[in-house]
Amino acid sequence: MKTTPPKIALSFLRWFCREDYLEEVEGDLTEVFEKQHEQSPAKARWKFTWSVARYFRLEFIKSFKTYHSANIMDMLSHNLLVTYRSFKRNRTSFFINLIGLSTGLACTLLIYLWVTDELAMDQFHKKSDRLYQVMEHREQAGKLVTFQSTSGPTAKALAEEMPEVEYAVTATRPYKYILSHDNTDIKAIGRYVGKDFYALFSYPLLQGLPNQVLSDKSSIVISEALAISLFGTTENAVGKMVEWQHEKQYQVSGVFKNIPPHSSAQFDFLLSFEAYREGRSWVDEWGNTSPMTYALLKQGANVDQFNEKIADFIRDKTDGKVIHRTMFITPYAERYLHGKYENGVRTGGRITYVRLFSIIAVFTLIIACINFMNLSTARATRRFKEVGIRKAIGAGRKSLIVQYLGESVLLAFLSLLLAILLIWLALPRFNEITNKQLSLDLTPELTLVLLGITALTGLLAGSYPALYLSGFDPVAILKGKLNRSLGELWARQGLVVFQFTLSIILIVTVVVVYQQIEFVQTRNLGYDKDNTIYFRKEGKNLNSNGLETFLSELKRIPGVTAASSIGHDMTGHNSGTYRVIWEGRDPNDRTEFEAVSVNYDMIELLDIEIELGRTFSPDFASDSSGIIFNESAIEYMGLENPIGEVIELWYKKREIIGVVKDFHFESLHEEVKPLFFYLAPQRTWNVMAKMEEGRERETLDQIQAFYREFNPGFPFDYQFLDEDYKAQYEAEQRVSTLSRYFAGIAVLISCLGLFGLATFAAEKRLKEIGIRKILGAGSLRIVSLLTLDFTRMVLLSVVIALPVSYFIARHWLEGFAFRIELQWWFFAGAGLLALIIAWLTISIQTLKAAQTNPVQSLKDE
Amino acid sequence: MKEPSLGEFEELVLLTVAAQHNEAYGVSILESLEEHLNKKINISAIHVALKRMEEKGFVKSRFGGITSDRGGRRKKFYVITALGKRVLDQQYALRTSIYRQIPKISFG
Repeated sequence: MKTTPPKIALSFLRWFCREDYLEEVEGDLTEVFEKQHEQSPAKARWKFTWSVARYFRLEFIKSFKTYHSANIMDMLSHNLLVTYRSFKRNRTSFFINLIGLSTGLACTLLIYLWVTDELAMDQFHKKSDRLYQVMEHREQAGKLVTFQSTSGPTAKALAEEMPEVEYAVTATRPYKYILSHDNTDIKAIGRYVGKDFYALFSYPLLQGLPNQVLSDKSSIVISEALAISLFGTTENAVGKMVEWQHEKQYQVSGVFKNIPPHSSAQFDFLLSFEAYREGRSWVDEWGNTSPMTYALLKQGANVDQFNEKIADFIRDKTDGKVIHRTMFITPYAERYLHGKYENGVRTGGRITYVRLFSIIAVFTLIIACINFMNLSTARATRRFKEVGIRKAIGAGRKSLIVQYLGESVLLAFLSLLLAILLIWLALPRFNEITNKQLSLDLTPELTLVLLGITALTGLLAGSYPALYLSGFDPVAILKGKLNRSLGELWARQGLVVFQFTLSIILIVTVVVVYQQIEFVQTRNLGYDKDNTIYFRKEGKNLNSNGLETFLSELKRIPGVTAASSIGHDMTGHNSGTYRVIWEGRDPNDRTEFEAVSVNYDMIELLDIEIELGRTFSPDFASDSSGIIFNESAIEYMGLENPIGEVIELWYKKREIIGVVKDFHFESLHEEVKPLFFYLAPQRTWNVMAKMEEGRERETLDQIQAFYREFNPGFPFDYQFLDEDYKAQYEAEQRVSTLSRYFAGIAVLISCLGLFGLATFAAEKRLKEIGIRKILGAGSLRIVSLLTLDFTRMVLLSVVIALPVSYFIARHWLEGFAFRIELQWWFFAGAGLLALIIAWLTISIQTLKAAQTNPVQSLKDE
Repeated sequence: MKEPSLGEFEELVLLTVAAQHNEAYGVSILESLEEHLNKKINISAIHVALKRMEEKGFVKSRFGGITSDRGGRRKKFYVITALGKRVLDQQYALRTSIYRQIPKISFG
């Protein structure tokens, strides 16, 4: 039996040992090894390895540096020259590759920016790992619905009774208020928060101490920007007085740095929660929910155990009265990306988009890379001779690989420059769509990522052509005999099919999303949202007895057709109650009815259709104890003859005086839920005015002038009802816009791939076409011959894409309670469009091929 | 010019090369030395000594023919040069002359 020395040691020796010594050393070592192997194989191997190690000394190590250095510069400049020439010669494929790679890179980098930004959300809080939000699952109509709102006393009770909790604070939702100082009135977003707020959250304070700024209930902590707009400077802001809503004075106790964009909560000032409790006794009751609660757990506390402990917390606090609310905590930093709950289970949220876009980014880049490979290998025919001659005069495979990889890496870096330009151009629009403030700051980290991704792209894209081209047998190339495998063709066609499948899916998505958005925005909602503005009912003059005067004056302005006030904004759930009791109600039912306080004329202003009975009217004094339900509510309660029936609301009897038709007060994602109107002008908080069509501009000016005069100190901050309605579908709009762009890019990249393949096919069949033409085939015949192959591929992708896109579209539409029907032409249109695009792309190549003079293609050989 | 020096181990290797005239190569030197000194030597030590002496011009080398042994590697044979022989002679002469100065004392 022949014995061989250890391979690893041997190849190591061969790697480092001087070439002029290697043969002798290796031979002697092997001889010693063979002799020893007869006595003890194991020892021999060990000895061999050890000996090799002993050769690892300066005298025996080859000098890597001097050996190569003379050569490498020459090779590099030569390679660059060859690269430059090949780019110059194949200008089309160079530009196609450049466009393909730079689009791919730009897409990937944009998505990278967006994804890193999303992932960084709320991560900056120093105690992020122990920071939690307290939330509640509530049982409603047999299902669990998850809420962020909690009861006012929650924070205090948790901090006092639960040993795991280090701090807990209550905080209201951010809300706009007027702040004034020396005749400057500014609308700013404020929150009422518990005094330990700064022990939980890391919003750095410029002035004031974190544990003191919120301890007094007449204190206000303001942002740097707000300080500048109020006082003109941040200096000595502490101690100054600020007027709130022209009602109350607060003293500035601290100034915080502007909230970073990576905070999901954005606000301009903070007030003490104690100030909020004043005059709001309901906040201290366990039965009511509104503010949010955050908790900082102690180090090492077990969250699962803690959640088990607090599950029945509310029931215990209310002596078993409130049993439908289950409290739990969830990491504050995860809340932004994982905000969606279905029946009490966390089901995702924005993270879905993050994942989706990450996948898209990787795919775009891979597709761009594969396109590059495709085109380079297709173009390889032209470089066969070059490869053959290089090899024949002694170029090693390695140096060829270096040459081609170098070429693709160079191209990748050129693409990077173009991609950066593209990103720079696209970023403002992208920010607009995604509602972010992304920027291409070349931080060391980002530069590293850019260079890394680019180098990787270059290597990935160049690897296959490099191996493919360098692997040829020079003799075969120079003789002109070259067989390319069938598998290669398959891979190439498969790629085109894949790309087109993707494009068709995206085209269908664009159509479906667009149609649904159109549908949503033009659907009859059951009320009239046109030409209607609304603004907050705020300030002393509007809140006390002034409201009626204000409304009647408002109505007198020419161009105002109606004005009233309402406790709702018509764009989603505002406030609800389960304290509606009717005959035959299940005592444990906790289903919430939307509660809408209205003034006289409100239902008429919104043009909500009356099904039965009448609306509130000043003619009937008893209407203040009347109630109007929507159809859904009547159906839910199961009342046969609702008019005149008496139900109990908030422990008081009320008579049903009317029923309105269902209208969409929430987004079309939701079914219409039970709702009631009750007459309570003092509890309304929005003033609405309807204007005559075509006179909005001048009417608005007059309303504004009147408002200023009537309500001095409060800026006239109005919104159009239909604009707010649109804002509800912001996420869908975003998907719609983004999918349009991605579809465009996908189509572009697919076309590049197809173009590469068409070039390849035309070139490969050059001789065949020549012979066909000589035998009498016409141009049309040749074109159809070449087109047929591609048509087949595109049709195959249509067949694959349609079921997939149908599934995706249906899944997306399921998120809407009111949705369009999927039409057959969405799919047929997308398929046809893909086919036409494909034909257009290949037509350039096929026409060129069909018109070549057969003499040209046949004269060789 | 001062002639290059010769280390103790180098001297032994050089002696063996001279002794095995024209037939000396790594392994044969190794085996002969191991036998004479009665201890294990690593082949790398022999090679180091040989390379150094070749550089100093004490030995010169040539390749042998290809055989099927040794993984097909050729042997490299070493021969002592005239310079090498002279250095060896000088060394020997020096040692003998000093040795002769040892008085005849009985160590019994």
